[in-house]
Amino acid sequence: MAIVGSRRPSPYGEAVAEQLGLELARAGVVVVSGLALGIDAAAHRGALNGGGVTVAVMGTGVDVIYPVAHTVLAESILAAGGALVSQFPDGTAPRRHNFPARNFTMAAISDVVVVVEAAEGSGALITAEAALDLHKEVMAVPGSVFSPLSVGTHSLLRDGAGLVQNARDVLALLNRGGEVLDDPLATPQTLGFRLRPERDGILSHLSDVLALNAAELARKLQLPVAEVLGRLTALELDGAVRRHQGGYVRALRRGKERA
Amino acid sequence: MLVGLEARPIHVEADISRGGDVKFFLVGLAATTVKEARERVRSAIKNSGLEYPRTRFTVNLAPAELRKEGSGLDLPIAVAIALAQARRPPPPQSAFLGELALDGAVRHVDGVLVAARGLRDFGYKRVFVPAEDASEAALVDGLEVIPCESLSAVVMHLLGTEQIAAAAQNLSALPEHIAAEHDLAEVHGQEEAKRALEVAAGGGHHLLLSGPPGAGKTMLARCLPSILPPLELQEALEVAQLRSLLGELPHDRPLDWTRPFRAPHHSVSTAGLIGGGSRLALPGEISRAHHGVLFLDELAEFQTAVLQALRQPLESGRVSITRSGGSVAYPARFSLVAATNPCPCGWGGDDLRTCRCTPGAIDTYQRRLSGPLLDRIDLQVSVCRVPIEALASEPRGEPSSLVRERVIHARRRQIERQGALNSQLKPGRLRQLAPLAPGSRRTLERWSAQRGLTARGFHRAWRVARTAADLDGSDEVLEHHILEALGFRLQDVAA
Repeated sequence: MAIVGSRRPSPYGEAVAEQLGLELARAGVVVVSGLALGIDAAAHRGALNGGGVTVAVMGTGVDVIYPVAHTVLAESILAAGGALVSQFPDGTAPRRHNFPARNFTMAAISDVVVVVEAAEGSGALITAEAALDLHKEVMAVPGSVFSPLSVGTHSLLRDGAGLVQNARDVLALLNRGGEVLDDPLATPQTLGFRLRPERDGILSHLSDVLALNAAELARKLQLPVAEVLGRLTALELDGAVRRHQGGYVRALRRGKERA
Repeated sequence: MLVGLEARPIHVEADISRGGDVKFFLVGLAATTVKEARERVRSAIKNSGLEYPRTRFTVNLAPAELRKEGSGLDLPIAVAIALAQARRPPPPQSAFLGELALDGAVRHVDGVLVAARGLRDFGYKRVFVPAEDASEAALVDGLEVIPCESLSAVVMHLLGTEQIAAAAQNLSALPEHIAAEHDLAEVHGQEEAKRALEVAAGGGHHLLLSGPPGAGKTMLARCLPSILPPLELQEALEVAQLRSLLGELPHDRPLDWTRPFRAPHHSVSTAGLIGGGSRLALPGEISRAHHGVLFLDELAEFQTAVLQALRQPLESGRVSITRSGGSVAYPARFSLVAATNPCPCGWGGDDLRTCRCTPGAIDTYQRRLSGPLLDRIDLQVSVCRVPIEALASEPRGEPSSLVRERVIHARRRQIERQGALNSQLKPGRLRQLAPLAPGSRRTLERWSAQRGLTARGFHRAWRVARTAADLDGSDEVLEHHILEALGFRLQDVAA
C-alpha cells in the first residue's frame, strides 16, 4: 500500500501520514512510499514506529540517497527488514524527469495508493493517475478547504477516490479490517498533555492545518501580544504547538509516545 | 587636515626672499590637490587687490612627513603669504580652513565640524572657516568662529582695518516634538512585529523581519526611528561629525536630533557598506547609520562577503578600515533591521498564493542567511500579509509617541543600572544584572537543550528577556519574559 503526498505538508498532513503508516504497518501491511521529504518520510517513519516493513521506491540509484538528510531513515528502513527499490542504475543522480517514472513504479507495486495532502500539479497526483491507469485503488485524505494542499486530494475525492479518515478505511478496502485502531484524527487534548487552563484557551483557537499568528490569537483572546507569544512558546516547549509558515498550529504528531 | 575623524593641525610658514625671480616653492609633502593651491592662491591674492610677492618665496607645510591633502589649505597658505608680505606676525592660537576661488572668495570644504572640534582639543581659540560652513563650526563650544567670505576680508580683519563678527554659538535646543516620517499608528495589524520593534528599540537589539512581499516589512522598519528616543547632544554631534566629513551636513540645520535611517540597496559593495576609498577610507553606510537604524531589505540578496564584513562592527560598534593612506576608525553603533522573504519566490507561508519553490531551493536560500550573521540578530519575527479586504477591519496601531515613552523608560532603567543598553551586556554582567528566577532558568535551559542553542544564542535570548523585563518595569527576569524572548527566535528549529 502506497502513501504519497506533498513534500512540504502541513503538520496535519504529516501527522496523518505518520499515523496511517504506523497503524497499517501494525496491521501487517507493507507501506510503500518515495523516501522524499514531507509525507513520504512521515509514512516511512510511522511504519517503522509501528514495527512494520516499509519499502522506499527511489528516483535515484539505490546507492544515492536523496535527499541526503534521509540517509539515517534509509538505513532504518533496511534495518527493519524493508527495502530500497529503484528502476535506475546505480549511481543515478536525482534528475527531475526520473521522478514521474518512479511514481509510476510506486503505483505499480502497490495495491492501493493513498494521497495525503497534494497541491495542484503535485507529483502525488501523477502517482494517483498511474494507479488509475493500472486499475489500482486510489484513496485520499480530506484536508481543510482553506488549504492549497487540499486542492489535489479533494479533486481526487470528487472524482471518486475512496475517503480515508483512518487506517480502517484503507484496511476495509483491502478486506483486512477487524482490528480496533486509534482514531487518527484524535484531538490534542486526548494525547495526554497536562494543560494549564490559561494555555488551553490558546489551543482551542488553533487549527491543525492553517497557521495562526500570535497577533490574531491575541486579538481573539483579548490579551497583549507579548503574553500570547510567551504562552505559545511555553506550549511549543511542551510540544503541543508547532511553528508553521510564519504562525502556529496545533502539533498532532507525538510520534513514539503514541506508538 | 583630517585623517578619518581625527584632525591634524598643519603649520603653514611663508618666507619671502629679498631677491631672485618670482617663483613660488611649496614644500612639505603636498599631494596634487595641495600643489594646485599655488595657482588658486596666486589668482586669489591678485584678484583680491592684495600684493603678490615679486621675488622668490617659499611656503612650508609642517610636519613635513605627513602627506597633505585637500583644498582646505588654500586659505591658510594665502593668509601666510599675505601676512609675510605685510611683515606681520601670525595671529595667536588661530587656525584657518577653506578653499579659495580665483576671485578670492572662500569656498566650502568638507569636515569643518570635525576639524573645529579637533582644533579646539589642540588648544586653538579661534578658527577661520568658510562663511557657509560657520554654522557647523559654531556647534563646537569654547571656540571663536570667524566666518570668511573672501580672502580680502580675512586679511583686512587680521591687519585690523575691518573686523568680522564671530559666529554665534549654535546649539539649537532640543525640540519638544520630533515629527517622524512614519508613525506606527499608520500600520494596521502586525501586532507581533510591532512588539518586536518595541523590544528592539527598548534594548538596542537587532531585528530580522521575515515575510512575503507586500507584508509591510519596509514600513515597519521605517517606523523604528519614530519609537527611538531623540539623539542626545553628544550623539547628535557624533552624527553631525560623520555627515560633515562626507559634506552632507545641511547648513541651515547642522544639528539634527532625529536618528539616521539608512537603507542601502542590496547591490551595495563592501566599501559602500562599511566604508572605503582610495587613500583614506571615508565612512560607509554603517557609519552613516551611527546611533540610528540600518535597514537591509532582501537580506539574502546581499553578497555574502558584504554581510560577513558586518560582523565586526555589529559586535564592537566601530569599524576600522585600512587603505594605502593609513588606517582609520569610524563609529558604527546602529540598530540593524533586516528583512527577508521566507523563500526565493517570496510566497512561502502566504495564504493567498502558493509557494512554488522546491524544498532544496528553500534550504539553499535559508542557509545563505543562517550562520554567523543570523546568530548576531537577537529578534526574529515573521510578518504576515494582511489581506486588503481585512485592512479596514484591522485595528490601527498605538501611536509611536506612546511606544516611545515606554522605550525611553526602559532605556533609562538600563542606563541607570549598567550604563549601557542590554544589547551590549557581556555574559558576566548579564548574570549579575539579570538574575533569572528559578522557573525562568529552567525554561531557558530546556529550550537550549531541545533546540541545541549555542552559548551565544543562550545569552542573546537572555538579553532580550532582560529588555522585556525592563519594558515591564521588573527588576527580575520572570518566566514569561524568557518565553517571550524565545518566541522571537525563529531560527531555532526543533530537532
